Amino acid sequence: MNFSEEICLPYLRAAQNPDGGWGFRSGAQSRVEPTAWALLALEQVFSGRAAGPDAGASERGLRYLTGCQLVDGSWPSAPGQTQGAWVTSLACWAFLSANENRAALARGLNWLAAERPGDAGTWFRFLRGFTASKKISSQNDALWGWSWTAGTASWVEPTAYALLVLRAAPKDLIPSKAASRLKLAEAMLFDRMCPGGGWNCGNPMVYGVAGEPQVSTTVWALLALREHTQRTEIQQSLAWLEKNWSSIQSPASLALTQIALNAFDRGNPEFGPTLERLYAPDAIAWTVPVAAWAALAASGRKFWSQPASAEAKN
Amino acid sequence: MPRPSPSLLPPFSRPESRVAIRRVSKYEADLGAVLFETLSEFDLPVRGKTILLKPNLVGLDPLGMMNTHPAVIAAARESFLRLGAAQVMVGDGPAMDRDTQAVLESIRLREFAGKLSNFFVDLNVDDLERVPLKTQASRLRELYFPKTVRGVDFLVSMPKLKTHHWAGVTLSLKNMFGVIPGSCYGWPKNILHWAGIDRAILDINAAVRPDFAIVDGIIGMEGNGPIQGVSKPAGVLIAGDDPVAVDATCARIMGLAPEKINHIAHAATLLGHIDAQKIRQLGESIASARTPFAVLEAFSHLRQAAA
Repeated sequence: MNFSEEICLPYLRAAQNPDGGWGFRSGAQSRVEPTAWALLALEQVFSGRAAGPDAGASERGLRYLTGCQLVDGSWPSAPGQTQGAWVTSLACWAFLSANENRAALARGLNWLAAERPGDAGTWFRFLRGFTASKKISSQNDALWGWSWTAGTASWVEPTAYALLVLRAAPKDLIPSKAASRLKLAEAMLFDRMCPGGGWNCGNPMVYGVAGEPQVSTTVWALLALREHTQRTEIQQSLAWLEKNWSSIQSPASLALTQIALNAFDRGNPEFGPTLERLYAPDAIAWTVPVAAWAALAASGRKFWSQPASAEAKN
Repeated sequence: MPRPSPSLLPPFSRPESRVAIRRVSKYEADLGAVLFETLSEFDLPVRGKTILLKPNLVGLDPLGMMNTHPAVIAAARESFLRLGAAQVMVGDGPAMDRDTQAVLESIRLREFAGKLSNFFVDLNVDDLERVPLKTQASRLRELYFPKTVRGVDFLVSMPKLKTHHWAGVTLSLKNMFGVIPGSCYGWPKNILHWAGIDRAILDINAAVRPDFAIVDGIIGMEGNGPIQGVSKPAGVLIAGDDPVAVDATCARIMGLAPEKINHIAHAATLLGHIDAQKIRQLGESIASARTPFAVLEAFSHLRQAAA
């Protein structure tokens, strides 16, 4: 069975809204995040189809994203929000992948490079030293990356997204101020790894007790840190992902795991049959992002490092 | 039609609240019968209505320690349907794992309640409605809520009886953090921490006040909750028509003083009763159900001497 062609693509086609965007499910309100994932899958997996039912789908999706961009270059996570959020990285990624609208991409990257999380300030770090939170979770407060929403703390997943897109963007579009942040953010990711490997979306240690790693956070951190293959932390985390394979019970975790394993040329040959077994068309978690991840995983393409090889069209 | 916001009433103008304590020693008991009997006592206005049960689903939980037990969720759903509800949905937006289906599979909810797509709503990725906050107790001026939460006729908070390393306890009020959509605010929903957890709890509950609460206290969690604590069998289900009164009762059962728990004390100014004199106790007494929970040293001041 060609899962991408027979399941993912028809689902993504059917879920696109008249405004060009995608919601998390068919018929749901268009949002930046699912639109960006759908566009990534369409461009990377189903590219080159200028004719047929997909003609214009990407163009309409990109137009939707262009219309959502805020004046400061960022994108909001919810319709009507006036502040940008982590989805800015995903929107930039979609433009980068499509090699379209260089102006929108440049403004998005510029916002990302300038956006500082709430825990980046020295005043915050000074105060944290006196609060209970310092005792609860131990971490290196000198390290920071990107937050989910404006003015809050750095977390692994939004930091990984920002790193991925800033690394993949054309050099001439990356603001000079971004360079110093990349190393700092990488160091933050290593600092936040769970003891023994993998990452989670909370704190790696709470009151001295090690947290359990989780699939999605581990996957995006590994992709963002893929240039450090030889480091023990990366090998430990890959080992955790591989060990966790047999306990995966959902298409989302399975597809994400395979994406990370593909990145390190360790893709699991059982991915296809396992996905077919776990897939149910009416599952509560069969959403636009999951369909896109499944297609990207099945394709084996290293979409996160796709260079913007050609000149952008706008 | 959006669900009308509940009126915010100070304690002196609020009618007496009712809270029932039922002894249930294990999840294999006939929970459907216990809950149906309990809910019937409250004469709830649920006939023909759309109901949302909001359990506490934090993350993957193969050992069944941190999430509301699926047997309690299934029994509550069955009981509301028996009481004539037109539709009983179950919904949550796990804060510590983005893969909601994986969380549900890890607790085996399907085995207890049937096909998930027939009743479960992933609140993390639901359509959104912007809601200006009336209370503005925290720094937040507005929040986006799932349309499902705002659209139902009757909302039931269904937490597990647990301690919490930031808030002291996590019960029916704190459980409402889970309705805030991760797709809007991330995983975890860090904006609520930055706004001040205790006050954000009041803001959220004032915007979408639960009409009823059912607390899974059959096996709770003590110590370093809500994830890394230790199982604590307490052998009770607690249910009531006022989430503040239910939480105050739970705290007393846990051997803690509700007046010293910031978010319960804040909520008591507008959303319900904390004063035991204003809470009509049904079923077991607090004294007979009292099972002191261990708390982290940072929360030792919450301990309450036995009456």
